[in-house]
Amino acid sequence: MEDDKFYELVELYRNPEHFGKPTKYNCSSEGYSPSCGDKFSVYLEVENNIIKDASFDGRGCVISTVSLSKLCSYLIGKKLNFVDSLNLESIKQLVGIDELSISRVKCATVGLDAIKKISAESNKV
Amino acid sequence: MNYIDVEKLRDDFPILKKEINGNPLIYFDNAATSQRPKQVIDGIKYFYENINANPIRSIHSLAEQATLEYGKAREKVAKFINADPDEIVFVRNTTEAINLVSFSLPFKNGDRISTTYLEHHSNLLPWMRLKEKGVEIDIVNTNEHFELDMDYYKHIPKGTRLVAVTHASNVTGTVTDIKEITQLAHEQGALVLVDAAQSIPHLPFNVKDIGADFIAFSGHKMLGPFGVGVLYIKKEVSKNLGPFLTGGEMIKDVNMTKIVYENSPTLFEAGTQNIEGAYGLGLAIDYLNSVGMKNIENYEKALTSYLYENAKNLENVEVYSGKSKNFLGIFSFNVKGLHSHDTAYLLDKKGIAVRSGFHCAQPLIEERLKLPGATRASLYFYNTKEEVDKFIEELSKVAIKYGR
Repeated sequence: MEDDKFYELVELYRNPEHFGKPTKYNCSSEGYSPSCGDKFSVYLEVENNIIKDASFDGRGCVISTVSLSKLCSYLIGKKLNFVDSLNLESIKQLVGIDELSISRVKCATVGLDAIKKISAESNKV
Repeated sequence: MNYIDVEKLRDDFPILKKEINGNPLIYFDNAATSQRPKQVIDGIKYFYENINANPIRSIHSLAEQATLEYGKAREKVAKFINADPDEIVFVRNTTEAINLVSFSLPFKNGDRISTTYLEHHSNLLPWMRLKEKGVEIDIVNTNEHFELDMDYYKHIPKGTRLVAVTHASNVTGTVTDIKEITQLAHEQGALVLVDAAQSIPHLPFNVKDIGADFIAFSGHKMLGPFGVGVLYIKKEVSKNLGPFLTGGEMIKDVNMTKIVYENSPTLFEAGTQNIEGAYGLGLAIDYLNSVGMKNIENYEKALTSYLYENAKNLENVEVYSGKSKNFLGIFSFNVKGLHSHDTAYLLDKKGIAVRSGFHCAQPLIEERLKLPGATRASLYFYNTKEEVDKFIEELSKVAIKYGR
């Protein structure tokens, strides 16, 4: 990653959009990566299978935080099950990075995996 | 820092000539694993080309040679820590060594074990699992300098069977007073297990002087191959232990109604062992002896002081290690406002290899340091002042650009 790109991500990381636990949500899930210590909670407000609002809190690195923040923005207004079609490539596109070393893959997908868990739960019901 | 000729020694480590991301490698992740000298790398090749056979049972010449070399490796390890060869059990690593003790010492409902906040998970989880058997686990706390609460050891709770303690923390660098702890524990009737994975590679170690009952360490952190570690079991204690893994080699006699087990160390080396690993560890010990453990200790002390002295002026950097009276070459830190992974990533771009995250010491990092992770530079005797200078320079740049 170019230094400028990383610097830009650090700026987003300092004050990420959709950060903070909302007063209104009806689904939540945890994302955790034991090697890094990234720990996030994701909160969704879902109505008729549409994500009305998405936010998160917790702590993690630049990659995990920015990935989850961008993902929240992207998912608002979409069907909950849409998240099942997303993968590492989708996150890389959202964040705007082409390459990601193996050790950072888990960082990029920790938030996505948490939201996928919510989707999987909703399918069971 | 004239204890060793570092430039000459560096020639023995082929990997230190590597470039990483266009920069000369600065390998500061020695607490995770050390690099290997060509004497060890070439020696393992020699083993397979000249000695390889399944030792102990076969009687052909090659097998006898393999048996001989396996025995020699055990003697080298024993001599290195001033133990007897039959007190040395080869295992995979420190984790396996400690698990072995946790399985083989017959703990029962109501027994107590103590471990500490400074531990690596390898000296926590094997004990915490024994809670299922009704064993109580005490976690010894530290003061604000990350030194162990010695008052605990002066008044160990009744029923404590085993005191487990690290010799050196892989996060704070703290060197604990295992001699004093062992003495106090023995006076109160408890056995002592020392996790010496972080210390034995770096300083002279004498088990007879310390007196502990079990000592665990890994080969790969002291120039040896991966997959070989050591459990020292004091002779008079070994008879109290039951078998760990059962199967090949570890018996005297077997029929379908009766098994007569071997004595330690054979009792604990079930199945074909990592003979190449033991052989390689022997070569690593030869190398360490040729440099001299006292020289290594002195050199690293000087290099560590040099690092800490230069780190004093760093802006936006928080340091968590080196606060205890005695500490090893560990420098744990964060750039304020930056996750440890991101700091490690930025240093790696300059060829500097450091560790980040929890360092397998999650309770210490999360509960005591209240951090989501830390970045760690850890030194060995082949590191240089120039590498420290470059590290400080690059860390300073990262901290000024990204820190706050």
